[in-house]
Amino acid sequence: MTISFYTERPVSRTDETNGLSVPWSRPRPKRTGVSARMVSAVTILAVLALWTLSARLQLVSPVFLPSPLAVWNKFVMVTSDGFVDATLLQHVVASLGRVFAALVAAVLVGVPVGLAIGISTVGRGIFDPLLEFLRPIPPLAYLPLVIIWFGIGEPSKILVIAIAMLAPVALSTASGVRGVSRERINAARSLGATRVQVVRHVILPSALPSILTGLRIALGAGWSTLVAAELVAATRGLGFMIQSAAQFLVTDVVVMGILVIAAIAFVLEFTIRRIERVLVPWAGRE
Amino acid sequence: MPHLVLDKISIHYDGQPAPAVEHVSIGVDKDDFVVLVGRSGCGKTSLLNVAAGLVAPARGTASINGQPITGPGSDRAVVFQSDALFPWLTARENVAFALRLRGVRPAERARRADELLALVKLGDAGDKRIWELSGGMRQRVGLARALAAEPEFLLLDEPLGALDALTRERMQTTLLDLWTASHAGVLMVTHGIEEALVLATRIVVLAPGPGRVVRTFEPGFSRRYASGEAIRAIKADPAFAAARGELTDAIFEGEAA
Repeated sequence: MTISFYTERPVSRTDETNGLSVPWSRPRPKRTGVSARMVSAVTILAVLALWTLSARLQLVSPVFLPSPLAVWNKFVMVTSDGFVDATLLQHVVASLGRVFAALVAAVLVGVPVGLAIGISTVGRGIFDPLLEFLRPIPPLAYLPLVIIWFGIGEPSKILVIAIAMLAPVALSTASGVRGVSRERINAARSLGATRVQVVRHVILPSALPSILTGLRIALGAGWSTLVAAELVAATRGLGFMIQSAAQFLVTDVVVMGILVIAAIAFVLEFTIRRIERVLVPWAGRE
Repeated sequence: MPHLVLDKISIHYDGQPAPAVEHVSIGVDKDDFVVLVGRSGCGKTSLLNVAAGLVAPARGTASINGQPITGPGSDRAVVFQSDALFPWLTARENVAFALRLRGVRPAERARRADELLALVKLGDAGDKRIWELSGGMRQRVGLARALAAEPEFLLLDEPLGALDALTRERMQTTLLDLWTASHAGVLMVTHGIEEALVLATRIVVLAPGPGRVVRTFEPGFSRRYASGEAIRAIKADPAFAAARGELTDAIFEGEAA
């Protein structure tokens, strides 16, 4: 019975396709056509062209949409001469300083909190609802409260950014900790590791890829909170620069500031991906 | 004489209606290579975990040298089916892990780790990352890492289970060589019938529902290997084939064909 089943198979089809009867299993010939990257490049160029054209034809007033050239000139000017008493570099340094200070704070608090959530039931019971409460609140909502509690100084600005970063860091750490393989922990314990040593030598390194992913998400979240954090009583920073420019309708500075913020976000993302590759080369290869 | 004893062990997992293992007693001497075999669900891995201190028995006592087992300890190093190595460390650092926990100086633990890597025939792989190694090499690193703890007993949970057939074949002699060289008693769980015959000084056959001992064999082929006979010659011996038949029958005894 089995034999007749096999002879009933259409042998000729196999011959037709040169020994490969499943067309979708064949390796595709290398396509010489478009790549996603090229499409992206063309899209960006098209947007720039549209932007230039509308500015050149004066379709809208420069107050609403300054020309790319005007924005570029502003970029050069603010880089050398400055805007609202600080050069572009000083604004960038002020903003980056706040974001990184907040990142350090978020890691110092978030990683231990994430560990507690991942390791102990009590930890999860305590911190999970608090984080879930904190996570969806937009920074502009808690900004007034932070100012009432901590004043208008630098700590408040850092705190606003740090709160936005805390949940991603803690939750990524927790999910990394929960993902540690049972066998890895048991192997370490049977080699004589105490509970503290298991956390230090097994759980933390195992969770490191996940923690780094958390840092990347946190940096994104923190960076997008920047403008809110610099709303009140800042004298430097990209967010402050944009708001000051908006108050005087200096639209080219606003647009330039937005582009600089986007560019720095891109560089941060790229950098932390490089760091991930150096620090956790085993991620995804186990 | 160091002695690992499982005495009238019953294991009952939370939420399970029936016990996984009932009233099983197994003793492992320092020069023993005891292999647990049996169909799925016979509780062989559970018993190994009791010996490791990872599972607490519902009844009965597990003890080592007369001391009750209350948790994992480096006197009973475990090697799992999946290698459970640490990918952030090199092969050498993995092997040296137990020594690092004890605060041995770096130079000394590197020297000791290299010795053990040479023992498992990975002498030149010390600087390799774990993901650069094949499955068989990883498992040998895992064995070397367990030996670094200088355990009195090695607990092996299907250590060759995830390897391809040819690598398994070769790893069997590696295991026997390590058993001879390390002077550690071995308690091992396997699905491989031939593997059990080659390696064991004693085979304990378990049956499921609930897990219990149905037979015990003392094959003696591993002693023949230890006294210098070639492994291929041992496997070609008609006595080996006969033993394999007998063991297979014992494992499937009482099961509808």
